[in-house]
Amino acid sequence: MSKANLDSTLAALADPYRRRAIEMLRQRPHRAGELAEAMHLSFPAASRHLKILRRSGLVDEERDEFDSRVRIYRLRPGPIADLKSWLTETDALWARQLTAFKAHLQKRSK
Amino acid sequence: MTSTVFISVRVPVDPTRAFEAFTREIGSWWRPDALFQITPRGDGTLSFEPGPQGRLITHLKDGGIFEIGRILVWEPGKRLVFDWHHASFSRPDEATEVEVRFEPVGEETRVSIEHRAWDTIPRRHVARHGFPEQITLQRVAAWWRRSLSALRTAKTA
Repeated sequence: MSKANLDSTLAALADPYRRRAIEMLRQRPHRAGELAEAMHLSFPAASRHLKILRRSGLVDEERDEFDSRVRIYRLRPGPIADLKSWLTETDALWARQLTAFKAHLQKRSK
Repeated sequence: MTSTVFISVRVPVDPTRAFEAFTREIGSWWRPDALFQITPRGDGTLSFEPGPQGRLITHLKDGGIFEIGRILVWEPGKRLVFDWHHASFSRPDEATEVEVRFEPVGEETRVSIEHRAWDTIPRRHVARHGFPEQITLQRVAAWWRRSLSALRTAKTA
């Protein structure tokens, strides 16, 4: 997933039901029914939320290999990894630039 | 760990001079960065077009100009806020935001940089993307921060 999708990811997370589902999926993949139960929602209502998460790229949906009526949801690690690497790079960038800025001023003030 | 990068440094001049050096002399002190290039053609020579309507641009070796971002707040000696676009961002509106503060510490100045990521950029950006209201967004940002620290704990454990 590209950085460009991060804000759609965050918009998808602007809902307590969907965050609850994501918290569940952080532990392991779950069936749609289990997620609906954890969200305290009817199956159709939960499905609408899961669809939003799927469209944002946060989760993948697949059919159970033994029972194709059952949908299994799993977290995609991309969005979190993207944000983490952006933070690391940006932090290092400013650390180097501010060191250079300080050296520039020390040189001038002498 | 947060979704905002915060870093500061103390410099041996007063805030007015620090602001002036930060903006007017950025072309002299900015170090081209191999790991974090502003454009695929290199960093070029950075310069601020000063004032509240100004912008931060970089002059590339091939004669081109890349606009890093518009200036949003210009308060000499105090505060500077500008957009930060990166040429590798796949959409032109995919900006992050940098805030620079200049605070006197005795004879010197503390220069602090806050580089905000997507989820912590205030309303202006939010409106453009049709985000829910600010309060919800803050909750999301807090949630995101917790998730990230949880992830980090999991990885190092």
